[in-house]
Amino acid sequence: MMEAFLQRIASRLGRDVRTSVERPQWKHAPQQTVFQGYSEDELLDVLKNQCTRIHTTLVETNSAELYDTVEHVIHAHGGGPIIIANDERYEQFGLSSFLKREDVYVWDATRGRDNIEAAERANIGITWSDITLAESGTVVLLNNQNQGRTISFLPTTYVALIPKSTIVPRMTQAARLIREKMARGERVPSCINFITGPSNSADIEMNLVVGVHGPVKATYIVITDR
Amino acid sequence: MAMKINMGEFHERVEKGIHNTFMRGAVAGAQERLRTRRLEAAEELGNWEEWRALGEEIRQHTLENLDYYLMQLSENVKKRGGHVFFAQTAEEANDYICRVVASKQAKKIVKSKSMVTEEIHMNAALEKLGCEVIETDLGEYILQVDDHDPPSHIVAPALHKNKEQIRDVFQEKLAYTKTEKPEELALHARHMLRHEYMTADVGITGCNFAIAESGSITLVTNEGNADLVTALPKTQITVMGMERIVPTFEEMEVLVSLLTRSAVGQKLTSYITVLTGPRDKGEVDGPEEFHLVIVDNGRSDILGTEFQPVLQCIRCAACVNVCPVYRHIGGHSYGSIYSGPIGAVLSPLLGGYDDYKELPYASTLCAACTEACPVKIPLHELLLKHRQTIVEREGKAPISEKLAMKAFGLGAASSLLYKLGSKVAPTAVHPFTVNDRISKGPGPLKAWTDIREFPAPEKERFRDWLKQRGNE
Amino acid sequence: MNVTLFVTCLVDLFHVNVGKATVELLERLGCTIHFPEAQTCCGQPAYNSGYVKEAKEAMKHMIRTFEHAEYIVTPSGSCATMFKEYPHIFKGDSEWEERAQHVANKTYELTQFIVDVLKIEDVGARLEGKATYHTSCHMTRLLGVKDAPLTLLQHVKGLEVVPLPNAHNCCGFGGTFSVKMGPISEQMVDEKIQCIEQVEADYLIGADCGCLMNIGGRIERKGKPIRVMHIAEVLNSR
Repeated sequence: MMEAFLQRIASRLGRDVRTSVERPQWKHAPQQTVFQGYSEDELLDVLKNQCTRIHTTLVETNSAELYDTVEHVIHAHGGGPIIIANDERYEQFGLSSFLKREDVYVWDATRGRDNIEAAERANIGITWSDITLAESGTVVLLNNQNQGRTISFLPTTYVALIPKSTIVPRMTQAARLIREKMARGERVPSCINFITGPSNSADIEMNLVVGVHGPVKATYIVITDR
Repeated sequence: MAMKINMGEFHERVEKGIHNTFMRGAVAGAQERLRTRRLEAAEELGNWEEWRALGEEIRQHTLENLDYYLMQLSENVKKRGGHVFFAQTAEEANDYICRVVASKQAKKIVKSKSMVTEEIHMNAALEKLGCEVIETDLGEYILQVDDHDPPSHIVAPALHKNKEQIRDVFQEKLAYTKTEKPEELALHARHMLRHEYMTADVGITGCNFAIAESGSITLVTNEGNADLVTALPKTQITVMGMERIVPTFEEMEVLVSLLTRSAVGQKLTSYITVLTGPRDKGEVDGPEEFHLVIVDNGRSDILGTEFQPVLQCIRCAACVNVCPVYRHIGGHSYGSIYSGPIGAVLSPLLGGYDDYKELPYASTLCAACTEACPVKIPLHELLLKHRQTIVEREGKAPISEKLAMKAFGLGAASSLLYKLGSKVAPTAVHPFTVNDRISKGPGPLKAWTDIREFPAPEKERFRDWLKQRGNE
Repeated sequence: MNVTLFVTCLVDLFHVNVGKATVELLERLGCTIHFPEAQTCCGQPAYNSGYVKEAKEAMKHMIRTFEHAEYIVTPSGSCATMFKEYPHIFKGDSEWEERAQHVANKTYELTQFIVDVLKIEDVGARLEGKATYHTSCHMTRLLGVKDAPLTLLQHVKGLEVVPLPNAHNCCGFGGTFSVKMGPISEQMVDEKIQCIEQVEADYLIGADCGCLMNIGGRIERKGKPIRVMHIAEVLNSR
């Protein structure tokens, strides 16, 4: 069945089925030069500027003040319940006490569908950005069993924790990083999210409505010393 | 809904479109906004033409090696525990999808926006099976609630509806009690649909770009609906037109950058999601089972022909958003879910000339579409090729036109005949001429003078003047 | 400079004044005008309707007529574009492709020729009033001539040139489109006229007689007080 399908394509193209193709060196590569040579600070400026265009609040903080900043952002969005990934970075960034808060649900793969119910009930979902794209204001999430997909989609508010060192110029670098992982034999995550601000739609008379299926609000917390 | 939308003959549809004042205002406003946003996004990049050249190069290479990349994709999806089905026809695709759904004893299906599932009439097949199929893209949802009103734009399907109409539909069908404010309408849809995601058995999506090297599929939305469609139900079925594929993540990235800028002027949309196989071991959300359905449905007939470039399309609708004809007649006039210039090229190829023979002529060949296309499909040239095909291969042109063109060929190729013809022209139309103008022309002139004045041929041709003046 | 004029069939038959203005203007700018009597039509009406065979007959005739010229100049962006398309149309034809390329290489639209070849931006014209310029699609998008007409118009003394809103939208001519798709064409030309009225222009100026026949014919039918002029006529005004 597949054979016949592919055979038909090949014959339409006037040749036999190809079993190997060299990926070409493209003649053009404009994506490589966007924000080329920008320092971390310059990329952060790009990110900040972009956030003003995607209905997203960007808060800068440092590791010493991170707990307070997170607390403040949670408060500003009306508090818990909160759902977060089971992520070692909470400890690495001195937020271990955060994991024990009563209003925080930590994703636990052993609890099955309870996690999704918790995400659906949550007011705020928080995840760490694995790669952050300055140009578009995008956080990239490489999800796994300790970080469910729904954390970033079901709660009303989405908060991303962004170490400054994760900021790259654009999606080009993220794509390359993922391919490098593949080349090293690492498994591509079953779900990679590129999230750029809150959910929105312009389907009714081209009026932008922020907050349709996913989060209604989004805040990025950038940790400037990490 | 199949590709064809039955709304009478072409000229009746156009008449209806032209008289739909709200639709025309909405389309004109949307065109202006989307065009400006696209141009600004391109301007911000600075070297847009280089981006387009890269986009074209990637798409051309992928099409030239489509069999290889599809095989690679299929192998990699299977390696990750997914199922792949190659469907030559719409029927084969629907049969497979129905078999999967039936095997799950599924009752409720949530779906994110997909043109190819509309093209193959999938919803109807599933509904026949007794399933409830719920569209979750806000625009598609509105249309579905309104008794399956057809989409009129490939990116903004409900563009032709105003908020008052949507309010009325929601009131009638969804027990809606609030106002026509878009925020309130959207919030209501959010509540209605949230429940559906949580209780659906199967999620069905389209596919913006499949990635051959990793066996992944990429979904591009602003609403996040595709994410809930794929995160919550136990079974995911993704349906893709067979050309919607790229070699690796790096080409996907370039095409997504072109797509979001060209479609809505955004650097990226809110949610771009790359899914590889079903959920991994230990994961809680995401589907337990993943099926990828790769659809031909007439596409392979386009390969290897002069129309092959149309398969480069990434469905951004930039061509629709600049088309001056679409602007005045709206999407439904095309009689196909694919409207605007891309629809005028694609619909006759997928649906045949019998239903779509007028579409290639519904263009002034102004080339605004070609100029806007991010992957450089020569759309206006392909419309011209359709006209050639209709005349030469299909023999569908009217006899009067054939005769006129024959005469043209003879006249224009012979200076003697041309000179003779042009000399007698003023005499020929003399009876219709008033003050050097023709207001009610005979024969073929009538269609012109129904709308505008026609200048009478001048008594002294230019060449006569020049001769008298002594130029050679 | 020796200029071979391709006057176009529309000008030859219907807009003789445009031809006269073109000749007088180019002569004033120092050119010697040649006019091959054998010239007919570029073939576009047949080509754009899908009649390639018939169109090619006309094209071959035009190639034969013009291939010995030094510069081919035409007061039409659309017809110049058609000449430029010839090599593409005869691609792979051993007898005609090269000859077509030869003709295409030396073809210029009038304003393009004045600005790019003659290197003149001020032709010494004078016209009192307010004008707006219609950018014809083929000339702008396919031939790629965008700035030359505006550069020349800006130097016309007494003339205020204001931008035309939605200038990028086609006027609805499109050759046979204007009669085959009359109702759509009517909407398009009406919107174009609304835009012209919006800027309260005395003159609508264009560089293609097809568009001008369409817009002008509709303006006349509606009795609007807007004068339609070809850019050659404007540049030849003193």
